[in-house]
Amino acid sequence: MSAAAPLPTLLVIPTGIGCELGGYAGDAIPAARLLAAASGCLITHPNVMNAAALYWSDPRIHYVEGSSLDRFAAGELALHPVRRQRIGLLLDAGMEPELRQRHLQVADGCRASLGLEIGAVVDTDQPLEVSLSLGASGVSWGRLGQPGALLRAGERLKAAGATAIAVVARFPDDPGSEALTAYRQGSGVDALAGAEAVISHLLSQELGLPCAHAPALSPLPLDPQLDPRAAGEELGYTFLACVLVGLSRAPDLVPAAQAAPGDLAIGQVGAVLAPAGALGGAAVLAAAERGIPVIAVHNPSLLQVGAEALGLEVLPAASYAEAAGLVLALREGISPAALRRPL
Amino acid sequence: MSGLELQPLLLQLERGPGALTPQILGAIAAHGRPLRWAITAAEPLPHGGSRLQIEAVILRSGGHP
Repeated sequence: MSAAAPLPTLLVIPTGIGCELGGYAGDAIPAARLLAAASGCLITHPNVMNAAALYWSDPRIHYVEGSSLDRFAAGELALHPVRRQRIGLLLDAGMEPELRQRHLQVADGCRASLGLEIGAVVDTDQPLEVSLSLGASGVSWGRLGQPGALLRAGERLKAAGATAIAVVARFPDDPGSEALTAYRQGSGVDALAGAEAVISHLLSQELGLPCAHAPALSPLPLDPQLDPRAAGEELGYTFLACVLVGLSRAPDLVPAAQAAPGDLAIGQVGAVLAPAGALGGAAVLAAAERGIPVIAVHNPSLLQVGAEALGLEVLPAASYAEAAGLVLALREGISPAALRRPL
Repeated sequence: MSGLELQPLLLQLERGPGALTPQILGAIAAHGRPLRWAITAAEPLPHGGSRLQIEAVILRSGGHP
């Protein structure tokens, strides 16, 4: 355990780009736990922490939706730690009654067994019409046919006293697709991730509340070749439990100009970590442009947008274990250069 | 909220001097409000600098940015 003060650290593992570590069902949680211990304060996003039926709660880890993380890095938002959130549950009217009931039972279970505060439940006034798509690079993006219906339901939850929103949208089932088979067997892109990000980004940006998304899907047939990294998604009927746990202590989002003592602002952040080939996202660039050290971790994905191509100076790390050592060095005031030879 | 639309966007941007984020946001703003974006490819140019591929989802209201 470090005796030095915590070093707030941003961990970004972009969603839907097929990262070898973190591109599946919360399979970056072990890295996040290690980095939370090394830094004493880790700010990261749902793609890192969500493992469907599995989750990990650590008071040193701040669960911040991706677009809010971008605005935090840009200096627009600060994070206000809370003891608990009152979570509103937003359900897509496109869900079948039985699937809807499964999600309500997860909320019940989280109230009864974990002590979470889950408030109003609102159904959208029309189906959200989620569709999946890939960009020119092969990255997962996704579409939402009825964004207005999402926002109307979110406004109703906010008016009912929700301080955070868990969204469940009906996603298209495609059990026979090659992409899904590849993903389940550990060699593909999470095709759902892009549409999930679009949903949570829209809601969080427009309402200013912590938000996260769980897709609603029909159960899949057993796959004996299931990759361990995808297994978290095949333990139950829903992907909702991790979202409710993550949101239950997600920090409030406050305009940076209104930050109070004790709130986290980008000026306090001492390091940002991202895959070495995926440095072209909003949070990483904003942090780098502020002079925050960027630790570029070897974590192959579909993208090859590295430090050289972007003109960034980075600290390279061959693994998240090495990256944790660099974070600890920065926390202790040790120059990372002093740990390499030649000097 | 009526008429709200989400649209995918693919842009090529030749990087100019200075900070990159304002250049990207400026290029996207011509098409709509950015909801999500990332640089998904970067290619060095013969005379120096680089050409960037940006993929985004933008928000448009009432058919206008």
